[in-house]
Amino acid sequence: MAYVHIENAVKYFTREDGSDMLVLDKVSFDTKEFGITCLLGPSGCGKSTLLNAISGLERLDQGKIEVVGGANGTAHGAALLGYVFQDARLLSWKSVEQNLTFALKGMAIPPAEWPERLDKYLSLVGLAEFRHQYPLYLSGGMRQRVGLARGLVIEPEVLLMDEPFSKLDQLTARRLREESLAICARLKQTTVMVTHDVEEAAYMGDRIVILRARPARIVEIFENPLPAGERDVDDAQFIQFKKRLLNTVLKLMETDEVLS
Amino acid sequence: MAAKEKTLALGADAAALAAETAIAAGRAGRRKERGAAWIFLLRGGSIVAMIAVWWLLTFFFPPSLIPLPSATFSEVISIVSSGQLFAEMGATLRRVGVGFGIAMIVAIPLGILMGTMKNLESFFEPPVILGLTMPGLVWAVMAIMFFGLSETSAYVAVAVSIMPMLAISLWQGTKSIDKDLIDMSTAFHASPWSKIVDVILPQLISHILAAIRYGLGLAWKVVVVVEMFGFSNGVGYQVVRGFNVFSMKQVLAWAITFLIVMIVVEFGAIGWLEAKVTRWRPRMEAWRR
Ligand SMILES: Nc1ncnc2c1ncn2[C@@H]1O[C@H](COP(=O)(O)OP(=O)(O)OP(=O)(O)O)[C@@H](O)[C@H]1O
Ligand SMILES: [Mg+2]
Repeated sequence: MAYVHIENAVKYFTREDGSDMLVLDKVSFDTKEFGITCLLGPSGCGKSTLLNAISGLERLDQGKIEVVGGANGTAHGAALLGYVFQDARLLSWKSVEQNLTFALKGMAIPPAEWPERLDKYLSLVGLAEFRHQYPLYLSGGMRQRVGLARGLVIEPEVLLMDEPFSKLDQLTARRLREESLAICARLKQTTVMVTHDVEEAAYMGDRIVILRARPARIVEIFENPLPAGERDVDDAQFIQFKKRLLNTVLKLMETDEVLS
Repeated sequence: MAAKEKTLALGADAAALAAETAIAAGRAGRRKERGAAWIFLLRGGSIVAMIAVWWLLTFFFPPSLIPLPSATFSEVISIVSSGQLFAEMGATLRRVGVGFGIAMIVAIPLGILMGTMKNLESFFEPPVILGLTMPGLVWAVMAIMFFGLSETSAYVAVAVSIMPMLAISLWQGTKSIDKDLIDMSTAFHASPWSKIVDVILPQLISHILAAIRYGLGLAWKVVVVVEMFGFSNGVGYQVVRGFNVFSMKQVLAWAITFLIVMIVVEFGAIGWLEAKVTRWRPRMEAWRR
């Protein structure tokens, strides 16, 4: 029973010349409880900033973000929260496996559970055979999968994912999308996922939040008409929903061009 | 017809196999080219060349200025076999070791603090830069005037001379730390201790190793100067003794034994340490020819 409540989130960044740049402009929405909320918006609009704010790495200038109803509160008082970063952010001096145990240790998961979880999530992302390898010897897509496994292995109540499949080939990405949906359902996870890809949003998102560029402002929030198990990329209803999303995004781009 | 196809297929297999073998052989060959034996040969050749030049010079200078390599090396052997080496080198190594240890204990935290806190950076920058420009000889003189001809003055002179260099290296290293990784460790609730040990120190390791290398090089030079000022043991003292009896052979013999010990420390101990702590980094051999 956990969801993220975002209310009037305002965030400024300081430009190189010292002037303020508004990045988040009164963003308010609730994420889906037990399900995936997708953030869809143009590059540089502030999606990663929003995830950082949810995770507590970035402070808001106004407004509030709270995780409502987290059960497994950690020592830090926050609900158990996992983060899959846009860049892999691995510790190069630790092996694939040690990168995961770093997260398990930090999140105070009992060591007795480590071996089973490591096996499970490393084989899920297809890296079981590379568990003792160091990150600098892996490909970009493999590193991204290590980052994904690190977010999953702690089995968080709230999982933040920043374009987790962007560097993967189509087949691997498709398989991992399905696996993520299954995990999310099984663990009753609340997931917030950033994506650029309209089809991915329609396939993964139970709720899709569309943001416009600089400053990030909510344009529209869609509820997926199809439940997670029944989405099929070739299905007419799915295609129709995808078109609705796409039209909103395209319209957004047109009005932005008129504005600028 | 079918049989012909089969032989064709077999032929293709054989060709593929041959190609694979050739590739494997090529890889092995390239690996060997950069192998340990070759590097050993290059290094050995360089040493032989230096000795050859030395030997040629003996034809133009009297033995009192340039003694024969063979005479010098037998002097080295007598220094080693008489046990003199261990006593003198032990004293020198202890002075370097203690001074170096003190410098590390002060400079590593200082450098890290300077890299993380702007106020401390501004405050400590002038003394560190001044300290860096001060010649080791001056520190040696000042330490002896202050503490007399005691072990303390040797420790202090060594420590103070290398401290600024160590601090600068750690200071710059800390500034280049990847903030994203710190954020990552915060997101996964890493403890402060784990942040230092698992996230920050590994990023500083190459800076620390470089600092150790430079620092040791500097420490040897300073300690020899200190010992020349009237200590009654140590390598520096032995060199001065050679000078007093005007025996180039003795001066050179001590310098050479000293060099050998330094090389063992540099390539043996530090090289081993470096290989051990940077195993995670792909070797640069691929682009370094
Ligand atoms: N630490 C920072 N300091 C100053 N400005 C920043 C900082 N981080 C991000 N920005 C600015 O904030 C804006 C939003 O950045 P953000 O990374 O959130 O975008 P994004 O939506 O995730 O983009 P993308 O889809 O390309 O990843 C950008 O214009 C960026 O220049
Ligand atoms: Mg981003």
